Amino acid sequence: MPVIKFVVQQQVHDLYSNHHSWLQRWLCRRLGNTFDAADIAQDVFMRVLTRQQPVQIQEPRAYLSSIARGLVVDHWRRRELEQVWLEILASLPEPETPSPENRLIFLEALIEIDRMLDSLRPPVRTAFLLAQLDGLTCPQIAQSLGVSLATVERYIAKALRQCYRLQFES
Amino acid sequence: MAPPFINPADPAPQIDRLPESVIEAAIAWAVKLDYNDNLTPETQQSFDRWLHADPLHALAWQRVHSLKHFKNDYRNIPSRLALDTLQALDTKRQARKLSRRNVIKLLSLGGVTVAAGWITREYTLWQRLLADVSTVVGEQKTLQLADGTLIMLNTDSAISTNFSGDRRLVILRRGEILVSTGPDAEVSTRVGQVRPFWIHTPFGMLQALGTRFVVRLDHDRARVSVQEGRVELHPNAGSVSAIVRAGESRWLTEDSTAPAAIQSFAEDDWASGVISGKNMRLADLVAELSRYRSGYIVCDERVADWRVSGIFHVKDTDQALQFLAQTQPVSVTYRTRFWVTVGPEDGNR
Repeated sequence: MPVIKFVVQQQVHDLYSNHHSWLQRWLCRRLGNTFDAADIAQDVFMRVLTRQQPVQIQEPRAYLSSIARGLVVDHWRRRELEQVWLEILASLPEPETPSPENRLIFLEALIEIDRMLDSLRPPVRTAFLLAQLDGLTCPQIAQSLGVSLATVERYIAKALRQCYRLQFES
Repeated sequence: MAPPFINPADPAPQIDRLPESVIEAAIAWAVKLDYNDNLTPETQQSFDRWLHADPLHALAWQRVHSLKHFKNDYRNIPSRLALDTLQALDTKRQARKLSRRNVIKLLSLGGVTVAAGWITREYTLWQRLLADVSTVVGEQKTLQLADGTLIMLNTDSAISTNFSGDRRLVILRRGEILVSTGPDAEVSTRVGQVRPFWIHTPFGMLQALGTRFVVRLDHDRARVSVQEGRVELHPNAGSVSAIVRAGESRWLTEDSTAPAAIQSFAEDDWASGVISGKNMRLADLVAELSRYRSGYIVCDERVADWRVSGIFHVKDTDQALQFLAQTQPVSVTYRTRFWVTVGPEDGNR
C-alpha cells in the first residue's frame, strides 16, 4: 500500500508542477472568476491525490480537464441550489425560518441530497425523502402521494439502489 | 424495528461488487423490513433463512440496511423545506431546459413528447402535495379567505396561504388565480389596522392595493392583469417596482417588469368558465384550451395564424373542439385521448 501511495503522490506532484497554472486558466475561462477557479483546481488535485490506485495517464491535460468538468458542473448546481434556497428562506413566514446555524447545516444537507438523488424522478425522490426524513412507512407514503402501495415500494427500491450505487459502488 | 443481528465475528467477505441479484434481494427485504409496518413472523423467518443462506447475503443486507440511517443528520431538516427547495430547483432547471427548446418542435417529435408529458405530470403531483389548495387539470375552485378575500384557482393551479402574521400572504406555486378582495377586506379585526396583502410568485412579490386582478405563472415570468384597483410589482432581483392599474397587464420577470400586449381574449374570462374573443389566433386559442385538458392539443402550423371568434367553454374541451370543427374549416383528429391535432380540413390537405 505505501508504495502505491508514493507512486500516486509522485504522479500528482508532476501533474501539479506541469499543469496547475494551465488548469487554473482553463477553469477561469469557464467560471469567469479566479477565486472559484483556484478552489476547483485545488479540488481537482485532491481528487487525483485521494485515488486508491495510480492510473496510466496518457494525456494529462485531457485527464485533468475531465475531472475539472465534473467539478464545474457540481459548482453550478451548488450555486443554483444556494440561490433557490435563499428564495425559499425569504418566502418563509417568520416562525418557520430556521436559525442561522441550522440554515447552513440544512443547505449542506440539501446539496448532498440533491447530488445523491438527482438522477431519480421527482416522485421517486419525494417518496424516498418522506421515508428518510419523516420516517413514513410505505403505506403512509402511498396515501399522501395518492399512488398504490406497490408503486411506492418500487420507488423506495429504486432510490435505495441509487444510494447503494453511490455509497458502495463508486 | 430493531435491525436483525449480524454477528460481528463473521468476517465480512472482502468483495466490493456484489452480484446484482443479491443486491436486489437485499433491497426487496429492506423495503419490507425497514420501510413497512406489520411484519409477520413468517416474513421474519423467511428473511432469516435468506440472510443466513450465504455470507454475501449478510454483507448485502448490512450495506442496504445501513442506508436507512444514511446521514442521520439529514433527519433534522424539515421534509417540507427539503421538498420545497428541490421542487423549486427542478422547476428552475426545467424552465431553463424548456426555454432553450422550441416547444412546438418538441411536440412534433413523438418520443420527446412522451418524455415531456411525464415530466409535466410528475411535477404536478409534487406541487399538489406541498400546496394548501390546488386544482387538477380542468378543475376550478373558489375559496374565501379568513379576511373575506375571494381567490379563484384556475386549472392546474396551487397556492399556499398564510394569514397568521401582520400581513396576508398568498404564495402562488403553480397556475393562475383571480384575486378579489372585498370592500371591507382591508380592515383586519384589530380596528384601524390594515394588513398588507402580498402575493408571492417565483419571480417576485406583488402587493395588492386594489380589488380585482389575475396572476398567471408562465415558465419564466408571471402575467399580472388588473381589473379594478392597483397592484404593485416587485421583481426578485432588482429594485425597480412597477404599478399596474385597472385595465392594464404587465409581465413580471426575475429582474424586471414590462407591459404585456393586450390579449385577444379577456384575462379573467376563465372565471366565468369560457374563453371568448374576436379574431383570436387559432394557435393561441388551442394553446389556451389545452390548459384545461390532460395531454396535448397540437395546432398544425398551416392553420396556426387563422383567426377565430366565439365563446369556447373550458369545462368541456371535447365539446369546444367539436364546436371549433363545426364552425371553422378545420379538422380535429384524435390520435389518442391525450393527443389531439387541429389541422386544415381534409379537403385542404
